[in-house]
Amino acid sequence: MSSAGTQLGKQDSAKPEPKLRALLVEDNALDAALVVRALCKDGFDVTADVVQDEAAFTRALRAHPPEVVLADYNLPNWKGMETLDVLRREGLDIPMILVSGALGDVTAVECIKRGATDYVLKDGLARLPESIRRALQEKLQRQLRHQVEEDLAQKVDELARSNADLEQFAYIASHDLQEPLRMVAAYTQLLAERYTGKLDEHADKFLGYASEGAVRMQVLIQDLLAFSRVGRNGAARGNVDCNAVTEEGLQSLASAIQESGAVVTHGKLPVVWADRTQMAQVFQNLIGNAIKFRGKEPPAVSVQAEKVDQHWQFSVSDNGIGIAPEFAESIFVVFQRLHARTEYPGNGIGLAICKKIIERNGGKIWVESQAGSGSSFKFTIPLHGPDEKKEEERT
Amino acid sequence: MKTERELLIVDDNPADVGLAREALTRCAYSGQIRSVGDGVEAMAFLEHRGKYTNAARPDLVILDLNLPKKDGLAVLAAMRAGPDLRRIPVVIFSTSQLSRDIVRSYELGANCYVSKPGNLKDYFSAIKSIEEFWFGFASLPQRGV
Amino acid sequence: MNSNEVEILLVDDSQDDIDLTLHALRAENLANHVFIARDGEEALDFLFCSGAHTERSFDHPPKLVLLDLKMPKVDGMQVLKRIKGDARTKTIPVVLMTSSREERDMLGGYDLGVNSYLQKPVDFDDFRKMVKLLGLYWLVTNQPPVTNGKTHLAGQAK
Repeated sequence: MSSAGTQLGKQDSAKPEPKLRALLVEDNALDAALVVRALCKDGFDVTADVVQDEAAFTRALRAHPPEVVLADYNLPNWKGMETLDVLRREGLDIPMILVSGALGDVTAVECIKRGATDYVLKDGLARLPESIRRALQEKLQRQLRHQVEEDLAQKVDELARSNADLEQFAYIASHDLQEPLRMVAAYTQLLAERYTGKLDEHADKFLGYASEGAVRMQVLIQDLLAFSRVGRNGAARGNVDCNAVTEEGLQSLASAIQESGAVVTHGKLPVVWADRTQMAQVFQNLIGNAIKFRGKEPPAVSVQAEKVDQHWQFSVSDNGIGIAPEFAESIFVVFQRLHARTEYPGNGIGLAICKKIIERNGGKIWVESQAGSGSSFKFTIPLHGPDEKKEEERT
Repeated sequence: MKTERELLIVDDNPADVGLAREALTRCAYSGQIRSVGDGVEAMAFLEHRGKYTNAARPDLVILDLNLPKKDGLAVLAAMRAGPDLRRIPVVIFSTSQLSRDIVRSYELGANCYVSKPGNLKDYFSAIKSIEEFWFGFASLPQRGV
Repeated sequence: MNSNEVEILLVDDSQDDIDLTLHALRAENLANHVFIARDGEEALDFLFCSGAHTERSFDHPPKLVLLDLKMPKVDGMQVLKRIKGDARTKTIPVVLMTSSREERDMLGGYDLGVNSYLQKPVDFDDFRKMVKLLGLYWLVTNQPPVTNGKTHLAGQAK
């Protein structure tokens, strides 16, 4: 019995064979040789160290980390299962296969539960190469999966950071821009008031354009601020009764409804898990648009909801001017407008805000429409929010 | 005793002070309008120090919050700390609509809080409203000698 | 009207003055949420959520307290002192509106931290004008220290 490690190896093959570095924990030299022979016979190019105790094992691990550990269950100075503790302590992910005399099924299963990768009988060594191959394969897959998960986590992190930066930028930019803009808007208007008609007509036009432009910039910045605020306030989600929210929206739109003679109806709407303020914004925006983009007839607007798969699907349908299909996506983009400012007022931010809100809530929003024949804006809200499940678990 | 009204505007933006002056002219406000650009100067003015030895005591102070050197809330606190200045009505006039700024202003003794509107028409209305109330109907503590 | 939705607490023992004030406020559409207390004690119960007003909450103070000076039981100055002396109520805007022409009442009021002090005009028309102006100033121009918790959607749909 040698106390230091002994190297055994095979040299004679010409064809390239999978190299395998094994660390044997075995006190019987013959048994060790049999193990190596079994591996060589199956085509491995084996380099094996043999040790009998913990100290030697640890030294060998550090000197030449093996790809696999093959340990006898019972040794005079040690127990094969304790190799697992050493491996754990050293932070090494190396499969350990017990190569031992009969142990009984219960003990074998126990060993595997405790972390041994496999258990091979000394008089069944023919199984050993396959066992090793399987163990190495599993390890490789484990490592690949781990790598992929790490990469994903990193990407998600970067994306979250980038998004946060953008939102902060949008918020700061629009917030800090308001002050100098206020000055420009105020003084161009004062100039316009004081000097219109007192200089030449070019001046009148210039002053007019300047002050209009400044005022429009103010509204744009306010809209941008509102857009960037979606999701910033971090209000909690809860049960939102969409009927109540729709009614509130109609109250806010009271004067628009009266002016246009609009008739707004809604079916029985569900209670959903969402941010109440944001849902109110969505309903008010969509209904408001339905009223605004009306044709010659008074607007007729209908708000409905139905269950589709795992979602509530809402629709806000109108008899207004409609939208040509080629524009169906671009209308949801920030500041995209399809009409001149003189035809229909607004900056084109309402739908972008709706989209942001709905998507943050885990839903989708789209429009079904043809130019000249009304529109139906549809959006989905998941039946159960993730927070809702946690709430239910807690109560 | 009818003496000329004295208004002190504390605002670091001369353009904003200009707007206030323009608005007050349109209200036919006929009193004096003084302005200072930071909190330290504001205290010097109110306490008649340095070049402000002969400054008149204001009947009303219109105070912005965002000021260099010493901010609006600090000026307010200093005014309310002394026996002399604490009766002078203070209108906070600021673009901030943050709840904590509003509440803090009241806690420190501001008489009222008016948001500076973004558009010109509303801005002029706000100034007009301030002028009409404080110089039209409110009883202001008489100036000490 | 829910007592937590009160916007103006009007404290006055004179029915004539109350009527005139309400009339002037109504003309400006500001009289929807007015609560009337006829003496200082009732006013304090209201503001401190005690006595007959335990259903009230400190989280929903009125936007304005219009306070007369000369009242039975607890007079205006004492009410003012209690309001401005308690952290829970001291930020509530209080306007003393009184027929008193005593300078020391005015100075005393300002010393206690009253938000403003007005002398009730003798002339009906002037009285009405004053109430209109003060209503607009304190309920529209002024930003009170607490919002009433209602969601407010800025702007219109686009």
